[in-house]
Formats: sequence, C-alpha cells, structure tokens
Amino acid sequence: MAILLNQYYLQIAVFVMVNAILGVSIYLTLSTGQLSLGNAGFMSIGAYTCAILTVKAGLPVYLAIPLGGLAASFISIIIGFPALRLTGIYLAIATLGFGEVVRVIVLNLKITNGALGISGIPTLGTKIGKILSSFGLSKFGGFSAQQVSTLLVLVILLLVLAFLIFFCIRLNRSRVGRAFAAIKADESAAEAMGINTTYYKLLAFALGALIAGIAGGLSAHLTFFIGPKDFAYHRTVEILLYAVLGGSDLVIGPIVGALILTLLPEVLRSASNYRLMIYGALLVTMMAFRPQGLISEETVRYWKGKLGRGSKQ
Amino acid sequence: MITMKKGLIKWFSGMTIGALLLTTAGCGGGAAPTANSGSQGGEAAKIGVISYLTGGGAAYGQAIKEGLDLAKEEINAQGKVKVDLIYEDSRGDKTEAINAINKLINKDNVVGIIGPTLSGEMFAAGPIADQAGVPIMGTSTTAEGIPALGNFVFRNALPEFLAVPQAVEKAISTYNLKKVAVMYSNNNDWAVSGYKTIESTLKKNGIEIVATETFADKDTDYSAQLTKIASLKPDAVMVSSLYQEASLVLKKAREIGITVPFVGTNGFNSPELIKIAGPAADGAIVASPWFPGKQDEKVQKFIADYKAKYNNKVPDQFAAQAYDALYIYASALEQAGSTTDRQKLRDSIAAIKGFQGVTGKFAFDEKREPVMSATVLIIKDGQFTELK
Repeated sequence: MAILLNQYYLQIAVFVMVNAILGVSIYLTLSTGQLSLGNAGFMSIGAYTCAILTVKAGLPVYLAIPLGGLAASFISIIIGFPALRLTGIYLAIATLGFGEVVRVIVLNLKITNGALGISGIPTLGTKIGKILSSFGLSKFGGFSAQQVSTLLVLVILLLVLAFLIFFCIRLNRSRVGRAFAAIKADESAAEAMGINTTYYKLLAFALGALIAGIAGGLSAHLTFFIGPKDFAYHRTVEILLYAVLGGSDLVIGPIVGALILTLLPEVLRSASNYRLMIYGALLVTMMAFRPQGLISEETVRYWKGKLGRGSKQ
Repeated sequence: MITMKKGLIKWFSGMTIGALLLTTAGCGGGAAPTANSGSQGGEAAKIGVISYLTGGGAAYGQAIKEGLDLAKEEINAQGKVKVDLIYEDSRGDKTEAINAINKLINKDNVVGIIGPTLSGEMFAAGPIADQAGVPIMGTSTTAEGIPALGNFVFRNALPEFLAVPQAVEKAISTYNLKKVAVMYSNNNDWAVSGYKTIESTLKKNGIEIVATETFADKDTDYSAQLTKIASLKPDAVMVSSLYQEASLVLKKAREIGITVPFVGTNGFNSPELIKIAGPAADGAIVASPWFPGKQDEKVQKFIADYKAKYNNKVPDQFAAQAYDALYIYASALEQAGSTTDRQKLRDSIAAIKGFQGVTGKFAFDEKREPVMSATVLIIKDGQFTELK
C-alpha cells in the first residue's frame, strides 16, 4: 500500500485520469462519426479561461473549471455551425485549422502572456493541502500531507470520470444516443428518418468541447504552468490516438487507450533513449493486428459469452 | 458510407502513426542507455538529472549530459565526495518533466536535482521539488522568475535580464548607437523574454527604436522584415531568437546590404551560428558567461579534457554550465557533510560564495539568482573574440 501511494505513482495516475477525460471528449464527437481534431484547441480554451479566472480574477477553482468548459463549448457552437457542414477529411482539416488558430491567438494575446505562458497557477493538490492543514491535519498514519492531497485529487478526478462514463452509457440508451448512432451509421438515412442531423452533430461537438475544456482546466490546475506549446497539433494527435488504440465504439475504449498510452512512456523509462521507438513500434503492431482498436462491441460480446453471461445481453 | 468513414479514420491513424514513428526514429541521439549509471561505494550522493535527451532540442540535452558526465568522472576521481547521476528524459515536455521529477524524488530518493532544460519545464517541475524539499538547479533555464518558484529552486544559468543588457550597453558605447531596429521570434517564450529585456535596456539608455519586427520559430524567409529595416537605416539591429533563425536573419540581412552590427540574445552564442551564416555572422555581438577563448587555466583544461573525451568537440555554453553545476553540487555536498540530507544540501548551496568555475566567479544572491559576469563577444572572421 505504501508503495502504491508513492507520489510518483499518484502523479501518473492523475495524468491517466485527465487523459481518460480527454478520451471521453473525443469519443463523444466520434460517436456521431465526426472526425474532429479540434480537441486540443478546446482544451487550450478551457485551460486558459480557467487559469486566467483563478490567477487574475481570483475565482475559486471549483467555479473556474466548469466555466472554462462552458467557454470551450460556447466557442465550439460558434465554429460548429459552419464547420459541421463539412464531413470526413474536410471536417478534420477545418477543426485542425481551428486548433492552430486558437494556438496563434493565445500566442499573441496580452492576457495569455503570449509565448511565455501563465505560470504560478495554484494546483488542486496545494489547495487541498492548505484546506487540510487549516484543520490542523498534517500527518495521516505515516503518509505526508502531499500524498494525501494528491490522493484526494485523484479521487475527485475518478469521480468526474465515473460520472462521465455513467453519462455516456445513459446517453447511448437515450433518444439522443440512438440519434448519434443513426448518424454514425448513415447520415443520409438518418436524415430521411426525420433526425435533425445538424442539431445532433452540433450537440455531440459541443459536448466533446465541454469535456475537453474541463480537462484543460483540470490540467492547468495540476501542472503549475500552461503555455501555447502544450496545446499544439501533437496534443490533438495524442487525444485521437486514445480512441484509435482503445477503439471508439464504446466509451471504455478511449479510456483504456488513454490508460495504456499514458502508462507506456513511464513503464518504458528504463529503456531510456529507445523508449519512444518502442512506443511507436507497439502502436504500429497494434494497428496491423487490431485496426478496430482494442475494445469493440464484438470484444465485449465475446467476453460476455465466454464468462457465461451471454444470454443476458 | 460506413465503410468509407471507418476507412477514413483508419487511413488517418495510419498516417499519424507513420509520422510519429518517423519523428521518434529521428531522435535517440545514438547514446547508449544510461538510466542508472551504477553506484560506486555506499555513500555516493544520488543526483537526479532531468534533461531534453530526445526530440527537437536533444542537442542541448546531449551537451548538458556530456558536461555532467565529465564533471562526474573528475569529482569521483578526486574522491572528496562521490556522486552518482540518474538521468531522466523529459522530451522538452512539461508533463514528462513532472513525471520525471516525481520519479527521481520519490522512487530514486535523490538528494538533489539538476535540470530541466527548458524554462517552461522548470515552471512545472520546480514547485514540485520545492514542495518535496529537494534542491533543484537549472543549468539552462534563463527566463525571469525561476528562483522565485521556491526556496529550493536555484539556477546557475545567467538569466537573460542580466546578460542581454551588458551586450546592448557595450554595443551602444562602442558604436555610439542612436537608433536601432529590433527583431524577435514571437512564438518562443525565451525569445520574447529576451526581447523585453532588449526593449527596456534601450529605453533606459534613451535609444530610439525605429522598428520592431516579429517572426516565428522555423520561419525561413525574413526579406519582408529586413527590407523594411534596411529602408529605415538603423545604426544596429537587435535580434532575439534561437541560432537557427538568427543565422538566417544575418545571412539575409547581409545579402540585402545591411552592414550594421547585430546584437543578439543567447541564441547568437553558438558555434552553429557561424557554421550556418558563414561570413555573414561577422559583426554579431552577444554577451556570454562562457567564452572558450578565455586565457584561464581552468577553462583551457576543461576544453582539453572535453575534446579528449568527446571526439574533439568544443564544449558549448550548455556543457560548460552543466559542468559547473555539478561542481557546485559537489562543493555543497562537501560542506553539508551528508549525501542524503536535502535540507542541509539546500542550505550549503545557498551559502556558496566565491566559487570558481569555467564560467567564471560564481555566487548566489539572497534570491538564489546567480551572481556572475558575462563577457561581451563579437564574431570576427568566423571566430568569437572579446569586444573591447
């Protein structure tokens, strides 16, 4: 137990959670079959809004993070109307362009401090640590206050993630979720069936942006510092990889993808300079043997059958 | 329609992964893995190093590593204190730097840390070391506000706001400058910070800025900015950027007939600048704590040892500052008399005064900023020489 509560492992677990939340955000846009590459852009809007609100306006973190998400979501609706008229690769390129635009705007604004970024953002861990010490608690049965506050941050993130998973599963069984699935299967047919495709596509897009914005706000308050470089093109690719590796049929797919892709570089630390090559090679192998991603609906059905609970489904 | 969409996603991911593999295959640096360089004796002090060892800036990380390895060998051979270095790669990425620092502090139980390479990484990693009470020293983090991160955060890199004014003021007095043009890379945190220092120094000295032109890292065409500057006929041009952009700026400027001196930030301080710009680099001025041509026994010995160890390579500023950093740690460890007490180590680092390194005389002020002097250099006939 003491080994598992090592600050190092806790910190990695925290990053896994944030990336898993990003995985959910890409899952939501993919669930209508839209390949949007704007998630890093939305993440950066969320992160910057949130950091500016807490550092410059002195707003409490628990208010600033949802506000960051809402700001991202609001922008996504504005750009969603024209962008979602596009499909496939055209949408991908438009949203990719959007991400770059956001990065360049952030780079040139005064309030975002340009290329220097915003530093000295209070982290969730130190905030919780302060609250704990105000109660006069500094030691917890051999664990330092730092460990306990990181653990609490982890619990909070876990709750957010659990809520998102629950939300997605419920969404899939609702009218909205069925509409998403119909659009993903065949947009023209869905439209012929009377589904307002623009509305549902925009909804999925805005939901994805909201969650990406929240993840951005969380990450700003976990790393002390944000700069425009953190939300460049490579971040978008990373987020997309969670869905590609884990599979985008089920919400659990991108989460598993995020878990693996966040842990892998750390597990491979002992390989030193070769670790990124191994990382790349694993991805190629993965794509060659399982292009649909690790977890698809068939996988779940297969394992349910194998475990003897197939009849229930 | 379904197959088309799936095909598209598959196709895109295939391309992405291909690109990823290509970029990762490009790094590596060719060095053998040195995750744990083996400890010698029981009481070797474990010092963690976070460096930019793979990726776009790996050249900096590699130079730092070489400087540290050389210093380690010498210190261990002298035998007053024994040090053991544990390297972690950060890829120039702040989350990687956070993970690396947590590993070094909590898993490897290091007594102190050297690194990370970039200021942006330090802004994310510094507070963690400070909270955990582990001394951390940046060897190349020159942005303003680094030691202000906490009581355990140090640096032995001469910050831009101390080095740049020396070069600018020296140029003003030598060339009797009246009006100058300024250029900087506006998407590089470090270059922007250098530009701000240039601007405030010029204002303080009452020099007129006739034009401020910006460009971005990796730009290759500077003709628009330079043509405008040429038409204004400034007495000098000040440039804040990394060496890649600086060399191209110099080349283009000489090509369109701007012959005035160029004053640069630390990006000018690289042998690569001369290599790329060739004769166009003549007349470029920079202030540097590290000057390989210095007539100093310590400097010349360091250069000779470095050349012997690394195939005749001349050490750059990154290697020199890293080399000094480990010696500062070694003398602080000696003072502290313990190889595991982080608090004692921190106190003895803070108390360092009159340390003589290859980058000159060195001390920390009460804000943990380095107190060191820079030499103003000018490139003449493809060589850095002191500007007198």
